[in-house]
Amino acid sequence: MIIYPVEVILVVTGPVLVIGAGVAGMTAAVELADNDVKTILIDRKTTIGGNALELYKAFPTDDCFYCFEGNRWRPGIRKCFYRSAMIDQPNIDLKISTRVKGISGTPGTFLVNLEVGPQYVDPRKCTLCGLCTDASEAFHLVSPQCQPQAVSYNPERADDGAKKAEEDCPTGAINLSATQTEETITVSDIVIATGYHEMKPSTIDEYGYGKLPNVITQLELAQMLDPNGESSGALLRPSDGAQVKSVMMIQCVGSRDENYYPFCSKICCVFALKHASIISKERNNSRVSVVYMDIRTYDRHERYYRETRDAGVEFVRGRVSRVEAHKDGTLDVYVYDSLLNKYLKFVVDLLVLSSALEPPEASNELISSLGLNSASGYVGSADPLSENEVVAGDHVYACGGALGPAEVPESVNQARAVVSKILQGRK
Amino acid sequence: MTNKSPVLLCTCGKQLKLDYDYLETEISKLDLAGSVTVHDFGCQDSGLETIAELIGESEARLVIAACTSQKIQPRIDQYLQSLGKDSSRIAYVNIREHSAWVHKDPSEASKKSLDMIRGALARVEDSKSIVSETKEIPNHVTVIGGGIAGVETALSLSNLGYRVTLMERESSIGGHVVQLPVIAPTGKSGKEIFSSRLKALENDKNIDVMTNTTVKFIEGEMGDFLAHYISPDDEDEKTLQTSAIVLATGFKEFKPTMIDEYHYGKNPDVVTQLELSRMLTEDRMVRPSDGKPVNEVVMVQCVGSRSEDYKRDCSKLCCTFAIDNSLEILERNPDANVQVVYMDIRVPFENEMIYKESRERGVDYIRGRISMVWENDNTTHVRIYDSLLNQYLETTPDLVVLSSAILPSDGVAELSETLGYALEEDGHVKDLYGKLRRTETRRRGVVAVGAITRPQFVFEAVTDAQAAALVLHNELHGGKIEKVARGAVLNVDDCVGCSLCAQQCPRGVPLMIEQTDAEEEDEAQKILFKAAIDTLNCHSCGVCQSLCPSGATQLNFLSNSQLWSEIEAVLEGADHEYPITVCFYCEECSVSTIDIVGTQRMEYPASSRLIPVPCAGRVSIIDILKAFEHGASTVMIAACEKDRCHIGGTGNEIAQVQIDVARDILNAIGWKGERVDMYRMFSAEPDRFTNAIREMVKRAQELGPTPVHKGTAGKWMEAVE
Repeated sequence: MIIYPVEVILVVTGPVLVIGAGVAGMTAAVELADNDVKTILIDRKTTIGGNALELYKAFPTDDCFYCFEGNRWRPGIRKCFYRSAMIDQPNIDLKISTRVKGISGTPGTFLVNLEVGPQYVDPRKCTLCGLCTDASEAFHLVSPQCQPQAVSYNPERADDGAKKAEEDCPTGAINLSATQTEETITVSDIVIATGYHEMKPSTIDEYGYGKLPNVITQLELAQMLDPNGESSGALLRPSDGAQVKSVMMIQCVGSRDENYYPFCSKICCVFALKHASIISKERNNSRVSVVYMDIRTYDRHERYYRETRDAGVEFVRGRVSRVEAHKDGTLDVYVYDSLLNKYLKFVVDLLVLSSALEPPEASNELISSLGLNSASGYVGSADPLSENEVVAGDHVYACGGALGPAEVPESVNQARAVVSKILQGRK
Repeated sequence: MTNKSPVLLCTCGKQLKLDYDYLETEISKLDLAGSVTVHDFGCQDSGLETIAELIGESEARLVIAACTSQKIQPRIDQYLQSLGKDSSRIAYVNIREHSAWVHKDPSEASKKSLDMIRGALARVEDSKSIVSETKEIPNHVTVIGGGIAGVETALSLSNLGYRVTLMERESSIGGHVVQLPVIAPTGKSGKEIFSSRLKALENDKNIDVMTNTTVKFIEGEMGDFLAHYISPDDEDEKTLQTSAIVLATGFKEFKPTMIDEYHYGKNPDVVTQLELSRMLTEDRMVRPSDGKPVNEVVMVQCVGSRSEDYKRDCSKLCCTFAIDNSLEILERNPDANVQVVYMDIRVPFENEMIYKESRERGVDYIRGRISMVWENDNTTHVRIYDSLLNQYLETTPDLVVLSSAILPSDGVAELSETLGYALEEDGHVKDLYGKLRRTETRRRGVVAVGAITRPQFVFEAVTDAQAAALVLHNELHGGKIEKVARGAVLNVDDCVGCSLCAQQCPRGVPLMIEQTDAEEEDEAQKILFKAAIDTLNCHSCGVCQSLCPSGATQLNFLSNSQLWSEIEAVLEGADHEYPITVCFYCEECSVSTIDIVGTQRMEYPASSRLIPVPCAGRVSIIDILKAFEHGASTVMIAACEKDRCHIGGTGNEIAQVQIDVARDILNAIGWKGERVDMYRMFSAEPDRFTNAIREMVKRAQELGPTPVHKGTAGKWMEAVE
């Protein structure tokens, strides 16, 4: 066997901070940890998983969204979020309910000031035994897939039951008097994985979002279709709980629009058609129509377009001009059809807006405090000519939705590319 | 030496409604049970300490009956490892999500828990310690294809400490990218984008670049591949030993000569988009037919793409390609007139802004199709159907540019014959798992990057390459692999050379090795090829074990005898008055679904008994029949969704085959095939499990006792037609 001599100088540097624990951030953290790099993974919520936790079925595989590639060689830590044991892995320090307050220092030795907590429930101690959730509505399980596997506490719903639960918790995991703390950490690299946010289109008057209960967004529809959700996956009108018989989806709400976001949000067409497919095939054959400008089902996603057409989903090329509600909540939707050059009226139970995917709040602050390039508010590449999309700056990287709307496989690939670049810089 | 194992019973902070006195008493009576410890917090510090003490009692054997192992096993493993203790012989029984939380009646839940604990004791009795092993392999990787993806992978691997041989079929490095005049969103040329990488490649001592080199075929396995190739220096085929293969041969553009209406190949002024790119890069923007200047251009989108006749899917890049080239034409000739005929303009994210810019600069977009191209008086005529105006337009352009479909490069299928990776219907390399394992292929040690898997933008191919370098680094560990040898172990003396394992392993791990000393043996007894399995390359699904006719290959953590004794022990209490449904569940999607059912406190009948297997494909016909032999009334296998095998292959399909055969056997002997079935699990839809188990319990009641209960088993019954 030939062992080639390779010159390797190992540069040992400090830990890596991963901001945001969605699919991208979790993947980056686990891959770093597997390669013996100390990693601090933070998320502002009590439960990690990001947008994926609320999206039910993923494309292109049509299986669950709450799934990522965990430590590959450790039996028992594989796919589902709830199995990822992020608080029990060597090299990962998971900090939930944590935000970045400020960043100083220099590339290679960043000083990051964190706001941590309040940590009402110690995730290592919580066993999900159910005592507190039975005792008070202030405690709840965000999702059966939640990670860490621990209950969350909502101080706004505090009651006597909560106090009793604190006393009775078998492991003493609850501390209702917890307060926020600050700490400063030193890290060598920063990975931005802050994801994307679905725009709430309440400012676009013609759709009536926020005013008419039967006008919702795609993300809200995903939660409605989720069998683990409130209606157990049944498609019911928010106004009166009646069975939805007809659905209309509107594409490019806030996207490709100079008044909101000039870019294409890239995944909304597939997102919408995935839902159209579920509704027309698995939910009582409700009728679905989609109003679009261009259907953008890139690459093999074209399958969703073929399948939904075959399933009888109606596609209308044009724009919606106005929406009116009947007394019973039913909606009249007026659409200009650009192929027929006519105005049409549709009567539907549910109007679903494919709303723009916008950068999250945290994005702007990170871009300005680290002096990064912006790509329409998302993190831009440090050197576009290099085509290295994941390298955002000196010792600063980004992956997943932080770089712009991304699907799960892209986010995971980007996260691995980030880890690849960090390790390459350390050899 | 003892065959007894201690048992730890966790009460989850006294919150589980099980009869612990009953469990403690009954477990103490079992032959295989050592001490019984009831603990309130198995997962907390005090519990971990107790577990560490119990591990010392019986050669590291231990049964932990608590909540889901998915939650506590990582913590326990890590704690025991920190103490230098062996955690590989612990068996877990989920008495919370799989029992106490899903059954109303505590006595029934306790009975079920006891049966499953008895099963785990039987499995753990015959367990072996799984230890870490090391092996050294060459720290060398071969990259096939010198386009942007191949070069970026080579550079990344070199940075990670590997020696790389980069083989390119053409005479120079750069692939398609260096031919592009302009690439969105930077607006720079392919040459500019490639230049820094070419420089890095030249200066990199760890990378050997071999141009004009064609790979013929590759044999071997991860860590020990042998690539056979032909290089220009001499005619003879040469070989190179290498540990892993990177497929990066990119794409080829569809040549639409067979689509009559475009006249491509007949009219020299009809070109493809890539041909236009070359014209722009080489600065010869004239009509190919007569060298006259180009003022009028018609571009046609989706030529061959989104077509049932050629390529069903979208080629993704062509819209951006066309817009880039339109802008470049206008840059060089501001008076030019460019029309783009399209079905849908597909430009992701910020490319939308380049689309907008092109419209502002006068590129004319016509939604519709080209109905024909013809020539008259040395002029090219084009008839366009405009679907927005619902009318036909005619124009006489200088150049017709076809945005032709992007197809996989040649040779992808040929190499797969020896390398064993899977292909998509469209001929691209199929990824291991579309959601999470994009750059990996079905074959261990073979990754695919860039356009060989799907059309990709340059930045996407670069990301792909960087990610794939990490994936290989995780596999090769820089050439010194140290890993827990958990997986299939082959006893070569028992191998009968049937090659079922080599054919069906989802990752292509078993190899068939020629037996050179077989010549001396008796002609009739001679086995020419026998399997070889490297346990360190195995991913532990057990498909080979369930198919092996001679029991030669078995998982070292779940042997045939371990599973059979577990089945027997679980079913000890089965009788005709208490019909039992056995559920074999995989530890991929099924355990998750069943755990979520528990977390949601959904209910299902307590006459179910759950037995874990790593993958549904581990369950053999014999395992199913053993369950019936020992008194099960119905048997179900819970597997992953169709086409969603997490190992990237066929584990769940193999399980379906085993079920079908078991059914035929049951029908043939008059036991009724409906007693066995398979169900697909999906943790977002937990009612899939509760519905399935209810159905199988219902069948158990309807079909009544089996001949085992009636005491007629083993006696032939007349088959019912």
